[in-house]
Amino acid sequence: MKCSASLCGLAYLALPIVLPAMVGAIAPAAVSDAYAEDRVDSTTTWYQERRKGNLGGLTVVHPQFDIGVDVGENTTLDLGYSADAVSGATAAVYSTDAVSSATTFKDLRHAANTGITFYGSRSTLSISGNIGTERDYNSIGVGVSAKIDLPGKNTALALSYNHGFDQVCDFDNGMATALERRPLTGQQACKKKSMLLGEDVKDDSIWRDLSLDATQATITQNLSPSVVAQVGLFGQVIRGFQSNPYRRVRVSGVEAQEHLPNVRGRVALMARVNKYLPEIKSAMHAMFRGYTDTWGVNSVTVGLGYSQYFGNSLLLRTNARIYQQSEATFFKDAFFYETEGSAGEYFTGDRELGAIRNIVGGMKFSYIKFDEDGGNVLGVFDEVSFNLKGEVYLLDELPADPIEDNREGIDRQFLSSGQAVDAFTLQLGMLFRY
Amino acid sequence: MFFACVLATGFLLGACGKQAVRASEKEFLADRIMQFDADGQETAADEHILSNREGSSGGRGTGGGGCGCN
Repeated sequence: MKCSASLCGLAYLALPIVLPAMVGAIAPAAVSDAYAEDRVDSTTTWYQERRKGNLGGLTVVHPQFDIGVDVGENTTLDLGYSADAVSGATAAVYSTDAVSSATTFKDLRHAANTGITFYGSRSTLSISGNIGTERDYNSIGVGVSAKIDLPGKNTALALSYNHGFDQVCDFDNGMATALERRPLTGQQACKKKSMLLGEDVKDDSIWRDLSLDATQATITQNLSPSVVAQVGLFGQVIRGFQSNPYRRVRVSGVEAQEHLPNVRGRVALMARVNKYLPEIKSAMHAMFRGYTDTWGVNSVTVGLGYSQYFGNSLLLRTNARIYQQSEATFFKDAFFYETEGSAGEYFTGDRELGAIRNIVGGMKFSYIKFDEDGGNVLGVFDEVSFNLKGEVYLLDELPADPIEDNREGIDRQFLSSGQAVDAFTLQLGMLFRY
Repeated sequence: MFFACVLATGFLLGACGKQAVRASEKEFLADRIMQFDADGQETAADEHILSNREGSSGGRGTGGGGCGCN
């Protein structure tokens, strides 16, 4: 898709808003009932990825903790915290042999979020904020979302908007051209005035702005007593520094910091359906998502799932998902960057901008306890649930350029393991409602 | 893409008036396994992982809605 950056930006943001507006104006909220509830929710996810070389893999531990408290009959206040502890091997240079030059890294990111939700009899309105901080990245986000059930309560419309004010620490390259730019090495100060505001240090490190605007609209529809479907449209515009400041790309013998466009517009269309099977107390799930962006990445996702109750308290869900994307227009396999140069002004060593296929499969066990007579669990809670989930990932990197012309191949241009299963997650969650 | 959205919306809304589900028929729709994104933290964690492994982001939907079971 080609159009000017500003025109594309408006189009990508406007689509999810214009479409629901065609449905009709949102009805005014009726007399409110009490829907707010108290809850404590905690989940920890362990992600482990295999990598080539003898520096180990990639490990991410992601704890999340959220609490929701009634502050009135129709209002809930939410507070949350999450973190990412990341460590492992990383490729320092995108080249035909990224394995030999790989290094190790560690990082720790903290994030907090808060929100307030107002409930009506057929509608909700939420306002939220979030912050995130790590040594070389700051983020501040605000958002608003609204949801309403149309009369008859078989159709629900939801609309949301989020804006992010991010900052990325970069090496101070001054007026260097794209192929002269040097990467961040971890030795730079990345100084901060406060937890969330960076401070430039001349000839050392500077903070670059990154602005994110995202909107999403969904329509959820009861199709029958046992079938519900949802269609959603997502649009996002990202403006600012989007390169990985640590990553170098070998272009015609020069190892320069990767150089990405400053504007990216994204659109995704999603459709999913759930079908209940009352005879065997189970449900089937299906989803489809199509995605495109102004960098030329196009993707399709198809997912299937199945949920089965065993008695009243045990629930098993299985899921499978296949995803395939095309490469960004300026992406090349490393051999061609080295021998031909870049495809224009931009060049990247980001695996996620190449041509890839990702297959995910998993299972989730849940133990759910509530008192069917309306009493309390453990004398305190309305409901208690424990969840254990595991998923495996099979990632294939596909050639972006004619493989028959690539004398070095693509097997070592990324650190991906090349094994059948290259990553897995384990997730443990607990939820208490009271 | 835009016209596909219009058609999808029209299809969904065309069903709502003619085949409306009565309140007494919503027992199964109210079940947790019929809710989209019932586990918000699981959804957020999955999005976090996938957006770092894949070049696309967003469009994974919003939770709840449509049951009208309250």
